[in-house]
Amino acid sequence: MNKITGLFFGIFFLFGASWLGLVAYPYLTFAGLRQTKDEATGALAPLPNPGIATQGARVYAANGCLYCHSQYVREKGEGNDVDRKWGTRRTVARDYMFDRQVFLGASRLGADLTNVGVRQTDPQWFYRILYAPQTLSPEVSMPAYRWLFETREIQGQPSVDAVKLEGPDAPPAGYEIVPTSEGKALVGYLLSLKKNYPLSEAPEPTE
Amino acid sequence: MKEIAISEEESRAESDAGYDDRSGVDRSIRIPVLIFFGSGVFWLVLASLFYLLSSSQMFTPAAWWTFPGVEWLSFGRTYPIFFNCYVYGWATCVGIGTGIWLLSRFSGVTFRSPLFPILAACVWNVGIITGVLSLLAGATTGRELLEFPPASAFIMFLGLVVVSLWAITIIWNRRFGRMYISQWYLMGAFLWFAWMYASANLALGIGLAPGVAQPAINWWYVGSLVDLWFTPIALATAYYLIPKIIGRPIYSEKLALLGFWGLALFGGWTGLTYLIGGPLPAWMITASIMAKVLLLVPVLATAVNFHLTLKGHFGGSRGNLALRFVVIGAVVYTAYSFVGSIISARSIAEFTQFTFVTMLHRQVGLFGFYSMILFGAFYYIVPRLTNRRWLFPQLIESHFWLVVVGLGLLICSLTIGGLIQGFGLEDPQIPMIAVNDLLQPFLAIQNFGVLLLVIGNLGFAVAFTLILLISTPVRERRVATEQLNEASESTEAEVSVA
Repeated sequence: MNKITGLFFGIFFLFGASWLGLVAYPYLTFAGLRQTKDEATGALAPLPNPGIATQGARVYAANGCLYCHSQYVREKGEGNDVDRKWGTRRTVARDYMFDRQVFLGASRLGADLTNVGVRQTDPQWFYRILYAPQTLSPEVSMPAYRWLFETREIQGQPSVDAVKLEGPDAPPAGYEIVPTSEGKALVGYLLSLKKNYPLSEAPEPTE
Repeated sequence: MKEIAISEEESRAESDAGYDDRSGVDRSIRIPVLIFFGSGVFWLVLASLFYLLSSSQMFTPAAWWTFPGVEWLSFGRTYPIFFNCYVYGWATCVGIGTGIWLLSRFSGVTFRSPLFPILAACVWNVGIITGVLSLLAGATTGRELLEFPPASAFIMFLGLVVVSLWAITIIWNRRFGRMYISQWYLMGAFLWFAWMYASANLALGIGLAPGVAQPAINWWYVGSLVDLWFTPIALATAYYLIPKIIGRPIYSEKLALLGFWGLALFGGWTGLTYLIGGPLPAWMITASIMAKVLLLVPVLATAVNFHLTLKGHFGGSRGNLALRFVVIGAVVYTAYSFVGSIISARSIAEFTQFTFVTMLHRQVGLFGFYSMILFGAFYYIVPRLTNRRWLFPQLIESHFWLVVVGLGLLICSLTIGGLIQGFGLEDPQIPMIAVNDLLQPFLAIQNFGVLLLVIGNLGFAVAFTLILLISTPVRERRVATEQLNEASESTEAEVSVA
């Protein structure tokens, strides 16, 4: 075997090992995950995502939320995520089995969103933060996402989705600020982020 | 006087016995290399502008100069556009250009019409253009460094396959039997990159990878991209330029081989260190951490080899700007790899993960290690391809200092800021908002550092445009460089005596 053939095979097989371990293995293994059944109640977990969540995930990606927000909770001892109330337990592979797009994220310039749908259940809260983040804090580094909303004249009854705003952000009299379909989808997605069901492979930390 | 000595080793090469032969090689591959270089510089300018915009948006999200309220210029789009333009536009284009130039020189092959690499360059750039337009419109896959939609990725892949096959063919048809270490690295780089790019895009874009297989494959790709595409290209370049410029063979071929095989063995495993504590089997993450630590073996072998080759010749890097860029890049490579291993340890990652420290680490790898070496290559190669000299060497000198100072500011501000952020995040008593408030002064310094970097890169683009536009007769240049040579050699001698 001459030198260049040896080089070629070396290049091929050494990289092939990492490809088998980190590409082929997870690709095949995680396709085989199934829901678990709670023995006492018979409840299945996790549950498939509602349709609006799948649409909203696209809006989440398009607006780059993932560059500042993460979506996983680390084991207690590997990080203080549980103490920060970002979740009651660590997240595991099964939690993400139904997600067409998994946004684990690598930055926490913003809060972790794994369980944001547990912490906040009111769509109004999300609308306000997305439209005017400075209502959270004047110094917040989150930008406003006003293109997810439209200002329109109130026709008859005000919309139930109209964003409740005060001060300089409030719409002129007779007008209301309502989320677009993209805005609604994004908030639908965020509300669906709940990984608060029990899983046997990820018990809640005891203390 | 010494700052003009960028052209010093040009005359040395001309007096070199084999020059005439190589200039034939250079002529035959000039057009594809210049297309890759030219498009690379264009993307560098675009990436720099988006970099400045995105880092300003992070610092002052509501200020008018950051375009608040403009959907297609919001942070969620400017940041991935900056990063993709930088990685696929600048870094990859200039990497391919340098790679095929090096391979042609080593192989001594002249081409009658280099149609395939020209075609590849055009196709690759069309892919990037469609990808960037998609990102502006919000059509993204939402996976880091694989944001381009599958159609753009497919176009880019076509260009990549053509140029990779062509590169391997040059190696196969080389006129000189013995292969130099740079050829090993380049052969690996072209094979690995085509492979990782194809399989990541196939598995994620078309193959619908299930659940957490997506981030696993995504970060495998990002780790491999840095360690098995950018790193081998940069090392191949340094292994060529350092001995060439100082006129001395590489210290040890055995060390070089250890460096190569170590990189080939561990380089593909490092990516999952970005997911420490993540929802993946523990062995996968542990394997990545171990690979990151073991990678220090080839890194050290390479660093020692460079150091012993350069020993006694460090003075030369003062007089020769191309060498100065390469040496700084090589030093940053060692430091960057050490920091990479440290922040991959689980007990340290607890604090540094998700913070500016990891973001900074990735950027230093690209800006401080890879781009520095490739800037050096650029300054060395372009005069030889065009048979012209760099006008206004002060521009190159200021490019160097702007990049070094800008990078220094970035490193200081984001390391301190990132550590404060990390300790803040790990203390559940401190609210998120308060953690981010602490970061404001560091983001201000970072923003200024980015501004310097961007100005430096724009100066580089101006220098490149000038050499393309303005012809300087070779004869005249020779006389000028001979005079300069004497001046710079005397400073070199003084330095080595001291």
